[in-house]
Amino acid sequence: MQRRIPLLLVLVVGLFGAIAAFIPHRAIRTPDEILRNDVLRILTAFSLVLGVGSIVRHHIIRITRRVEHWPFSWVTLIALAITAVIGVLGGIDPAKPGLLATKVGSFSFHIDNVYRYIMSPLAATMFSMLAFFMASAAYRAFRARNLESTLLLLAAFVMMLGAVPLGRIIHPRLPAFAEWVLSVPNTASKRGILFGVELGILATSLKIILGIERGWLGGGGSR
Amino acid sequence: MSLWQRLLNIDRRWIYAVLALVVIGPLLFPFSIKPKPSPPVERLFNYIDTMPVDKALVISVDFTPDTQAELLPMVIAMLRHAFATGHKVGVLTMDVYGLGLARDALAQVSAEFNAHATSHDDSVINGEDYVFWGWTTPLVTVMLGMGERITKVFPIDYYGNRTESLPITRELRNYEDVGILVTCAASAIPRSWINYAQVQFDVKVGCGITAVSAADFYPYLNSGQFTGMLAGMRGAAEYEEMVETKMIELGKNWRLRRKGTEAMSSQTAAHMAIMFFIIAGNIAFIVTRRKKR
Repeated sequence: MQRRIPLLLVLVVGLFGAIAAFIPHRAIRTPDEILRNDVLRILTAFSLVLGVGSIVRHHIIRITRRVEHWPFSWVTLIALAITAVIGVLGGIDPAKPGLLATKVGSFSFHIDNVYRYIMSPLAATMFSMLAFFMASAAYRAFRARNLESTLLLLAAFVMMLGAVPLGRIIHPRLPAFAEWVLSVPNTASKRGILFGVELGILATSLKIILGIERGWLGGGGSR
Repeated sequence: MSLWQRLLNIDRRWIYAVLALVVIGPLLFPFSIKPKPSPPVERLFNYIDTMPVDKALVISVDFTPDTQAELLPMVIAMLRHAFATGHKVGVLTMDVYGLGLARDALAQVSAEFNAHATSHDDSVINGEDYVFWGWTTPLVTVMLGMGERITKVFPIDYYGNRTESLPITRELRNYEDVGILVTCAASAIPRSWINYAQVQFDVKVGCGITAVSAADFYPYLNSGQFTGMLAGMRGAAEYEEMVETKMIELGKNWRLRRKGTEAMSSQTAAHMAIMFFIIAGNIAFIVTRRKKR
């Protein structure tokens, strides 16, 4: 029974979701709108609670078991708690403070400032570091060892030159050639991959709806 | 160890140091290279430019601060374009971290236009000329719901106003009033806009994406599902160039800051440095291989 009810729910809602995309009749459309606009939002709100609970549990386990780099779990938990308290109690508009006063003298720790001066630079720093790793990886990986790697190397060169205005100065047709590489060979291969991925999604979705794939119930795989 | 072998086994910190120099140098002392618009950028620009005035531009700021260097200049350039040509603008975000970015972009561009405004007609006013709906979730509810009634999805805007009471709502009710929806993202969200908005409601969709994800979206561009596309810093710089030309044509030669174009010199230098490293690495590789033989 514990498994039958969730499986039945998935079957009914999954089939209904698929049918609603093809039948625009009011009898189908109205419940579909309720499901999308109300039920889905409520479920998403629950998933937020689940997400926070999951991250807290995960890091508490790391701290209690003293696994590698466990002190960073404290950083995550403290940052989560502080940001949540400031965000929930400090109000959204810096001009209209909430229950929590977010300004001490001229120093403001309003959620807007947390976003602007902590979150934003940290995120930008993380992404910027990719350029350094990519440069180092390109130096070591792009070697003309055989025909395939030489072709990859040439394609990388064309794309890098095509992505900057200097490419046009080197040869006026270089940006157009880079555009052709993206539009023709790239699109051809991507389409093949996309068809495969989409068919895979369709098959997996059907397996879940029909109850063949039960991994999402936890504690087991396919029937 | 020979010079070539040393070059092959170079400490990665040298690569990092050189790259840092070539990125920072041109930011401090930029060199100007005029960008020439590529076909996907031209298509998006021309579509927005020739769109009927009663059709709105909707921008979905679907990125987070990590990719703002590439994507925020696109949002700013499109806002300038829409306001300069008198189109209404609706802005939303599919990622909660995009809220601050969208809000700041709107504040910046509306301030630029209002600084030069002489009357109410050429001012850019919140609720009349643009609306910032903010963020809500889940995305399927938003993307499908906007096709029925936008105020139902966003009963209040980002600033806490009831959207039903805003004058712009009379002209921007659902996708039928949208000329084009442009999603700026560093994720797969543009694909969802195609699945839920373009396919189901036949609304025109354009995209602004990071350079690394451009290859993933070309199939949709070639199929016509994306009306146009801005890819990476280069796409932003090219769009900025077209908007600048348009604004001069309209007598708005305000010489506004163009961050995408400014950063192109840095990106060019970085690409050159990476290519230099690859060439040097390959020469060292070939020489040492020959010596071994």
